[in-house]
Amino acid sequence: MNMSLFLSVENLVFIMATTKRVVVKVIWNMKKRVLVLVAFDVDAMCACKVLQSLFQCDQILYTIVPVVGKEDLERAYLENSEGVKHVIMINCGANFDIVETLQPLENVKFYICDSHRPVDIHNVYNAVQVKLLMKETELSVPEYDLLFRDEESEDESGNDSDSSDRPVPKKKRFDDEAIERRRERRLWEENRNKVLFDYNQFSSFGSSAALLLFELAWKMSKDSNDLLWLAIIGVTDQLLHYKTPREKYIEDVMALQSHVSRHNHRDDVDIISINCLKIMYDDEMNLSLYRHWSLFDSICHSINMACKFKVWTLKGQKRLHEFLAEMGLPLTQCKQKYSSMDSSLKGNIKNIIKEQMPKYGLEDEDVIVPSFFAQYGFRNKLCAMDITLACASILESFENGNTGTDSFLLALDVLDRSNVNAKEKGIEMARKQLQAIIKQVQIFLDMHQVISAGPFLYAFIQEGTPDVKFFAHPQCLMRLARFTLEAHCSVSRNKRSKTLPLVLGAPLDREQGTLLVIGIPPLSLDEERKNFFGKAFEQAASSTNARTLHDKFDTFIMEMKTDDRSKFFDALISLLQ
Amino acid sequence: MLAEKALDLIRELERSVGGSLPPYNEDRVRQVLEEMRVLCEQNQKDVSATVAGESGLFSGVQVRHAALERNKRCLLAYLYNRIEQIKKMRWEFGSVLPTEVKYNLCEQEVQWFGRYNKLLANYMRSIGGCGGLDLTQDMKPPKTLYVEVRCLVDHGEFETQDGNVIVLKKNSQHFLLRSECEHLIRQGILEHIVH
Amino acid sequence: MSSLEELEDESGDEVETMTAAEVLSKLEEAWLNEKFAEDLLEAKTDLVECMMEQISEMEDNIHRAKKGDFKVSIHRLEIDRIRYVLSSYLRSRLTKIEKFATHLLEEEKLRKDDEPSKLSPEEFTFAKDYDKLLESHLRNLALRHMPAHIQTLDPKQTAVRPNLDKYVFLRVNEDTEGVLVEEETLDTGEEIVDMKKGDQHIMRYRPVAPLVASGAVSLI
Repeated sequence: MNMSLFLSVENLVFIMATTKRVVVKVIWNMKKRVLVLVAFDVDAMCACKVLQSLFQCDQILYTIVPVVGKEDLERAYLENSEGVKHVIMINCGANFDIVETLQPLENVKFYICDSHRPVDIHNVYNAVQVKLLMKETELSVPEYDLLFRDEESEDESGNDSDSSDRPVPKKKRFDDEAIERRRERRLWEENRNKVLFDYNQFSSFGSSAALLLFELAWKMSKDSNDLLWLAIIGVTDQLLHYKTPREKYIEDVMALQSHVSRHNHRDDVDIISINCLKIMYDDEMNLSLYRHWSLFDSICHSINMACKFKVWTLKGQKRLHEFLAEMGLPLTQCKQKYSSMDSSLKGNIKNIIKEQMPKYGLEDEDVIVPSFFAQYGFRNKLCAMDITLACASILESFENGNTGTDSFLLALDVLDRSNVNAKEKGIEMARKQLQAIIKQVQIFLDMHQVISAGPFLYAFIQEGTPDVKFFAHPQCLMRLARFTLEAHCSVSRNKRSKTLPLVLGAPLDREQGTLLVIGIPPLSLDEERKNFFGKAFEQAASSTNARTLHDKFDTFIMEMKTDDRSKFFDALISLLQ
Repeated sequence: MLAEKALDLIRELERSVGGSLPPYNEDRVRQVLEEMRVLCEQNQKDVSATVAGESGLFSGVQVRHAALERNKRCLLAYLYNRIEQIKKMRWEFGSVLPTEVKYNLCEQEVQWFGRYNKLLANYMRSIGGCGGLDLTQDMKPPKTLYVEVRCLVDHGEFETQDGNVIVLKKNSQHFLLRSECEHLIRQGILEHIVH
Repeated sequence: MSSLEELEDESGDEVETMTAAEVLSKLEEAWLNEKFAEDLLEAKTDLVECMMEQISEMEDNIHRAKKGDFKVSIHRLEIDRIRYVLSSYLRSRLTKIEKFATHLLEEEKLRKDDEPSKLSPEEFTFAKDYDKLLESHLRNLALRHMPAHIQTLDPKQTAVRPNLDKYVFLRVNEDTEGVLVEEETLDTGEEIVDMKKGDQHIMRYRPVAPLVASGAVSLI
């Protein structure tokens, strides 16, 4: 790893590995209470748990408040800011001007550990109050001079405008010079706008916050298998919610694997208590929750396999049966619980699938993901992907009147390795979510509700659809959008559909008549996973005065009034044409 | 049946064991006392009749007397055990009773609580010469200096020893000095998270 | 414990010859005995006062210590632990005093001058006031309204007394011979046990009560 972990933003000098603790030390030595604001995603929760364990090692007092969106963030900051000098933000706060938004006292410092990109330039260049906890390689910010002019020239320009009130002759004397200066300034501003536009155009994601904080723990020699497991879940979350491209995921997995082998080299297996957490690396089948389901159901609910076979069609079902038959897996076995499947079959499934794959046009990537398992006590192996899904679904569950923060804590319990009940509940919930998603995808396809608007595809979930409440949450909506897009592309005869992004809307609140809208990039750009909808949404909204709310930390998700839908979309179409 | 009502009082307490204190049953207590008065009057009548020469009343007097004793015993047990409960609450909630508990006490019990408070405070102040020792603190053996807690209700502001003010809002998590938040944990405002 | 000794060295003006560590271990023993004994044991006022002094001394030391010194947190935890033992000890005494108030006051009345009191002066005040408080409460709410001839509260009937026949676990600290465990009855002969240091027994509390008081055995 050649990047230093901590980036002091002062004059863009990166603190190198030897002095990397500087930022941390500031917090560590203050022995003052730290306010931690955590976004609602699995990665942030894992990062938060890593941070908690670091704080507890050094007995640093903290307060943790989960925040849903920007408004929530402002409120939480106002409520808890008294006496707080250090605020750490996890997976929130990077992509908008934090000082401008929160109007903090001058002695308050913000440490932002956020995977959202791009980082707002004001956060990058506010060396005094804002520190970014990010890898330098992931940050390609335009140079300072291109964005800001030093005070002097600004003063002058200020005088310039003032002087318009003064007697005319005086102005004339400087005319040429002033015109020249104004021209220069105009050019600079044009350039600045262009640079800024290029910089802000696409939103994307950097390294997982959990991974970063784990690496921090490692450099402080305070890493452990438990923290490593959290980092793994954080990274897995980025994969499952399509935040980072697969290549980046593999890269992270490689880094994690070296940690795993460092922590789990076991010649002395017998010595270690069964109650210790053990982590193993292995290729995992990319089938959702199959360990807690039947193989058949799992295949039908996994995006890649389901879309390759088009399981929602009769023909697809046939092909899937054929596939299973050819692999020598009896249907009765496939349709019963995986855990009670014939063990001679079970051990071999991965290899058989790999063998038969090419015949059915499946690629390695569709079926196999490098992943990790944890084992502890005499219980089943835990798979990182299952836990991540379980945690995410609990985070967005809405059972018996839970408020958002209730689910946050419940989801934290899922990550607590000793809490088996919470885990089982989570997996149950995740299964329900997946079922709702596939059902919705089927509705979209059967009713031909995925429509091409020219520059993009769009679809809306009808009000009154049974599982509509699942999709009023960003992460689940994200997975639905992705599933819909892949499924649509797999059936569409139009070759162009692979190059089209998708906008998906789900009813959010019937009484208020609001929609939750998400935009995801086209499949053809999957290597980059850059999303331009954040800016596009903003512009379309401001040009039409549509009543929208861009409150989420993910800019490509927003809320809007259902009534304004058509005028907003007209604007979006003309904008993207 | 004789002394039935007094037994009801005991049953009422028994049913609420481990839960909250039931309201002070003033009516029932008055009924028991009334029953005792009637029993006593009848006894006196019978006794004076016996003295006057009538016979065969003695066993009746004995039964009534036993019932009187039983009533007395039940009544005292009722009061005594309520006091025990109230004492327990002093140790749990501190010197100010929650209003919903207060509603369930009778006037005298509230007064008793106040006096007990004073008594306890005086004693605790006198321990070990200087300054005294708050015995209602340190109820559990300390494992760590700081504890991880979750806030279960909106409690509002809480001032720590070093003068910082923390807002205890539902579902926020904190890392606090154990000695500071022990009573909040006991009151159910915070939940101690143990991994 | 080392921290305690260290602190004590700094202060250096202990009146007694015991080190702080010894005081603490004595207190811990008293605490366990008190916890498991059915009746109230003799008050260890000296130990309590000594430990209280220690605590405030340690607290002062901590205030003087450099900020961010990592020893501070260890000392703090040590203080917390001592305070817990102290509070728990006094709490279990207080519970017993409240429970047996009438009984204890009776005993106190019968006590000869040369016998030590079980109650410390503060505890005695507390017991007296508590007993009065309880009685007046019962009188106000119930007794007062009862027929005249049963208004009395006879301590013989109502006072709560410790059950000395409860069985306890104990460990022997000093060799003791000829402990009479069971009095001679019509059916069985008397039972006498020789106790060796380090032995552990389960037996009724009554016969070993004097040994607990003298420190020959500890309850566990």
